[in-house]
Amino acid sequence: MSSVLSIFKLVKAPVYSHCFSQDKSLLAITCENTCLVYRLPPANSVTSSTTPQLVATLANHDKTVTAVDISVHGRIVTCSQDRNAYVWEPLSDGSYKPTLVLLRINRAATCVSWAPSGYKFAVGSSARIIAVCYYEQENNWWVSKHIKKPIKSTVQCLAWHSNGVVLASGGTDGYLRLFSGFIKGLDSKEAVANSPWGAKFPFGALVREYYHGAYIEDVQWRSAIEKVAFVSHEGSLNVVDSQDQLQSVNAPDGLPFNSLCWVSDAEILCAGFSCHPVLFAADATGAWAFARDLDKAGGAAPAPVANEDLDESEDANSGFGISALRKFKQLDLKGKVSTDAQESAHENTITQLKPYVEEQGRVTAVSASGLDGKVVLYRL
Amino acid sequence: MSQSLRPYLTAVRYSLEAALTLTNFPSQEVERHNRPEIEVPNTSAELLLQPMHIARSETEQVLIEPSVNSVRVSLMVKQADEIEQILVHKFTMFLEQRAEAFYILRRVPVKGYSISFLITNKHTESMKTAKLVDFIIEFMEEVDKEISEMKLFLNARARFVANEYLGEFVY
Amino acid sequence: MTDWRRIDIDAFDPESGRLTAADIAPPYATQVSLAELQPRIAQLRTLASSGDMQAAVALATSDPPYSADAQAKAAYFQAVLETLTQVRQADIAGVVKALQPAQQDVLVKYLYKGMSVPEGQKQGGILLAWFERLTQAAGVRPVTHYINDRNTV
Repeated sequence: MSSVLSIFKLVKAPVYSHCFSQDKSLLAITCENTCLVYRLPPANSVTSSTTPQLVATLANHDKTVTAVDISVHGRIVTCSQDRNAYVWEPLSDGSYKPTLVLLRINRAATCVSWAPSGYKFAVGSSARIIAVCYYEQENNWWVSKHIKKPIKSTVQCLAWHSNGVVLASGGTDGYLRLFSGFIKGLDSKEAVANSPWGAKFPFGALVREYYHGAYIEDVQWRSAIEKVAFVSHEGSLNVVDSQDQLQSVNAPDGLPFNSLCWVSDAEILCAGFSCHPVLFAADATGAWAFARDLDKAGGAAPAPVANEDLDESEDANSGFGISALRKFKQLDLKGKVSTDAQESAHENTITQLKPYVEEQGRVTAVSASGLDGKVVLYRL
Repeated sequence: MSQSLRPYLTAVRYSLEAALTLTNFPSQEVERHNRPEIEVPNTSAELLLQPMHIARSETEQVLIEPSVNSVRVSLMVKQADEIEQILVHKFTMFLEQRAEAFYILRRVPVKGYSISFLITNKHTESMKTAKLVDFIIEFMEEVDKEISEMKLFLNARARFVANEYLGEFVY
Repeated sequence: MTDWRRIDIDAFDPESGRLTAADIAPPYATQVSLAELQPRIAQLRTLASSGDMQAAVALATSDPPYSADAQAKAAYFQAVLETLTQVRQADIAGVVKALQPAQQDVLVKYLYKGMSVPEGQKQGGILLAWFERLTQAAGVRPVTHYINDRNTV
């Protein structure tokens, strides 16, 4: 059985982020300055011949859209390098009404994540700020509170704990930090009573901090077992628990990961620059190790550099400069194929993994978006 | 292919593979801009990664400078004598003046090197990384060959000219 | 007259938050001095001259002096470079295979450092042979770790 369930070739531009609605009927992807929303049939009837129908184009941003997320209520939030974020409220006729979010940041917004409740979300930015945004009834707009300290560089990933208070963030300063995103009036203290991560959670408090060194590309919670996993640019998957016990595993092919997705309490799927997802599993003692590759392109190792037949002498006297120019151009346009004919479903880097189908607490299908403009569904 | 060229190219290949892991990264300094961090002065130190020197000898080297969203690759082409120096200079000038046709070619080489490439996340998004690596490796092979070919041709031509010219004085 | 258009005003802003090379160095608990390193350098030389290359390379690549100052690092590096260049070409593959992944990560740092200085560039062929064997054994992983690691040798 092939591990690829379906390949959606959607756009001719890199897809930096994608998200499914709660019932998996809508798929939102980022595409240059817009966010595209597609309609899909129910998850159990998706086959390899399914084609998503474009239903809406969200086009208020004037720079690259960097991230998109859909709340449990169906609200779409997009953020962009133009320093803005919009919340898109679905209307009954299928269109969306945008509301600008007052982020008050002066650099690009890089990542966004709805809290599980769907009443607030967090936006990470290049301004070394995390903005936690919520709706203010009396003014009828989304306002934000800032977490500034001690973030030292661009925030690249954010994830909420299922209690909606503890917020994990990672970025190019090489620190994984857990903050409190407690908003008075929205969150209740009961949500974090008995939390193993701490006793008090005033807004913006630094709960934990782990030095990692390399850029942290993605972070995800497994709230039920109080663990947080993150992947970094040095090609490692790291899992840390509330006792600060940190475990690190290296990517089997050595290239960095961009995204991760918890499959079950003891399985994590990662993907990144190697263009195919990689499954890691924990054994009975809780030690993480590489389990298997999904949809790996045939003929693994990079082809050897030296082909003796390269030395075939071409006719030397067809005008030097011009022949060099032509050669350069030919090489530039076609490149020399060293990879095998059989390729993986994603032809370029995978940017984000999201769970797609979940059965009895275990994810059985995941979706992955890539720089090649595709969204691929993988079966586990 | 000579014995020591293969490890040299292998080293460059693996270094490039590791370096070409770029992301779209908006500037932390300038609003609404996206710039190759390896090229801008006054950038934040955390955005630059460790540079890689690969040397086959003192005269044949590659410097790969990676950063979060761009990689600069500089080649030092072997120049054994003055003729080769001139040839390499002319050859790289010729290419650099047509840099816009070559996408990743830098118009000016990094100081101390013969020719430089600048690869940004835009390139890795629109082209296959493996092919970009292949291209640079192949370029390194070709440029040596091209230079030695040109040198041979130049010598042959000089001999011919000298023959013709001096032939006038033979009675 | 100073060219005021080119003044980097953000550098004068304490709130700019820009990180310098010193800021991103990992937090070290202690600093190793040159005097503390001398016994290790001597041990390395003894092992190398006695011909036990496996042990010499393993010692060189375990627990390198990340926190030392430039001078101590240079002295240690010199000893490592000597060791690496003494190994016979045919033995390199075996030595590399016997190293732990963490030691391989350190080895690649010394190889890159070696190729960046004139003394190492003269031995380019040997260092490249090491590099080739290393990538055959460990793939691209040590290189990825190298470019991301803020610990320098």
